Amino acid sequence: MKRIEVKLSLPVVAPLLDVVKELADGLRKNLAAPNQVVDIDADFRDAWVGELLSSQNDDLHTLLALFDEDFFSEGVVAFDEKNAEAIVRACAAIRLRLRERFLKPLGDETLESGDIDLEKLDEPLRKAFMCYLFLATVQELIIQHLDESILGS
Amino acid sequence: MPHIKTSPSPAPRTETKLQLEGVWRVVVLNDPVNLMSYVVLVFKKVFGFEENKARKHMLEVHELGRSIVWTGLREKAEAYVFTLQQWHLTAVLEPDEAH
Repeated sequence: MKRIEVKLSLPVVAPLLDVVKELADGLRKNLAAPNQVVDIDADFRDAWVGELLSSQNDDLHTLLALFDEDFFSEGVVAFDEKNAEAIVRACAAIRLRLRERFLKPLGDETLESGDIDLEKLDEPLRKAFMCYLFLATVQELIIQHLDESILGS
Repeated sequence: MPHIKTSPSPAPRTETKLQLEGVWRVVVLNDPVNLMSYVVLVFKKVFGFEENKARKHMLEVHELGRSIVWTGLREKAEAYVFTLQQWHLTAVLEPDEAH
């Protein structure tokens, strides 16, 4: 089984996990991206959204499980074909939520370009944007090294 | 005015049925958050696209704001939209007026 281990900087990443956990809590009952299918009946919509929420929560659980006691002692996280798909999706969910909750003042064009001077941001916004970049880096790592595992699963 | 006995139930049901028949498009809309590489991965995973085709649709989404990624019967289109939403892409269904 293909597996990658990544050593993270604990002093940098640990504070970001508070943001990730808070947003994951908020996603227990809310979809990261709204369901825009309008012409379906209420029962079908409820079932649809319920399934999406269940899938989203499973993914978020897998992401949060990366940051266990071993992570806080060694600073290492491991991605493999069992957790890669769930983690890459969970990162997308949290990043969408970050935009909704914290990053809208930056504007979408700035967010897409990533051209932001971190020093000019106040602390909550800076932390949220650091978290946004961190999760993007996790996604890029997984896509770069484990895309075949995801496509083959 | 002639009196016509109406039965309200069948008419909407027929209309609904007709609306759901025919050919439907699965359309992915742009969002400022998801990475280009992520969107390409999702298209390859969900639709089995080759790299070039996945990139073409991703660039359409990015540059034009939307891309029609699949066309066909309603039930399968719904399944694709559901799967795209599982991957947190913004996907909608549209009737294909050409059919």
